[in-house]
Amino acid sequence: MLEGAKLVNIGAGAATIALAGAAVGIGNVFSIALKGNTKITPIQPHSVARNPSLAKQLFGYAILGFALTEAIALFALMMAFLILFVF
Amino acid sequence: MACSPLEQFAIIPLIPIHIGNLYLSFTPKVYMEQKKTFFFPYQPNSSLFMLLTISLVLLLVSFVTLNGGHPVPNAWQSFVEIIYDFVPNLVNEQISGASSMKQRFFPFIFVTFTFLLFCNLIGMIPYSFTVTSHFIITLGLSLSLFIGITIVGFQTHGLHFFSLLLPQGVPLPLAPFLVLLELISYRFRALSLGIRLFANMMAGHSLVKILSGFAWTMLSMGGIMYLAHLAPFLIVFALTGLELGVAILQAYVFTILICIYLNDAINLH
Repeated sequence: MLEGAKLVNIGAGAATIALAGAAVGIGNVFSIALKGNTKITPIQPHSVARNPSLAKQLFGYAILGFALTEAIALFALMMAFLILFVF
Repeated sequence: MACSPLEQFAIIPLIPIHIGNLYLSFTPKVYMEQKKTFFFPYQPNSSLFMLLTISLVLLLVSFVTLNGGHPVPNAWQSFVEIIYDFVPNLVNEQISGASSMKQRFFPFIFVTFTFLLFCNLIGMIPYSFTVTSHFIITLGLSLSLFIGITIVGFQTHGLHFFSLLLPQGVPLPLAPFLVLLELISYRFRALSLGIRLFANMMAGHSLVKILSGFAWTMLSMGGIMYLAHLAPFLIVFALTGLELGVAILQAYVFTILICIYLNDAINLH
């Protein structure tokens, strides 16, 4: 092992890799709310791009989806802090 | 002189109260690993700030509604009106059913939303203390609300409330496994509600503290760093704006999730 590199620090660094998945998820939420998913719903107007009058309601759902996905990101960050400061 | 960015979350008791073996105090002391070696001239206190939050909200609402308020609202009255108009929309939208049933819960949800909003926003003031950045506070709130919602569910439906755990149209062999899974997921709601708020607030404040530590260190190093310290400083500036947005958003998400859980309890699926 390297001098000065405690296993606890390596573990905490490895734990923050989980945030990549959460970042992809948050990007997905807003992208589908705004532009839609043409593989699953090719012609239905389920996004703001195809039906701008839904902007307010879709924004509410997008914000709810963002907050729930960010909760997972913060669970991962909490695990990293737990490893770093408790063990 | 090494101090961690988590020191801003220390709570120091103001008025200790000993009752037998219990150590209650006006601001309960949280034991944390602290590496600080110097004395903060400013000591934040949890209960003090909760008291401050509630008295600020009550003062604001009472001053705004003096003599029935102005017909053309000024800024403060508009602010209170926005909150007072926003929360019933949440309640009506999420909880489907009879209107009298829905409006029973409006005061409780209004208090939850306003308390969390003002706690988060007051924490954004520099050198202030964020009440909701402590897990014990958000967990206590979310756990007690969750127990209350379960009691409401049992009051409304009796033992039929357990049908919440078995969604419709499930083949019978799968049922016991699914009930167990749904039970775990149901209990996790209480925990996740508290963790979400706590982690958002703590992570935001720790991040701002770390970056401003960078800016300060670079500033005190001199030379080219004296100019380059603006980079972390501008990031802190942008992050503070983001944290203001997150403060409001997290209060909204907590409240809307409580409404959704209430809807689940009152109208089983």
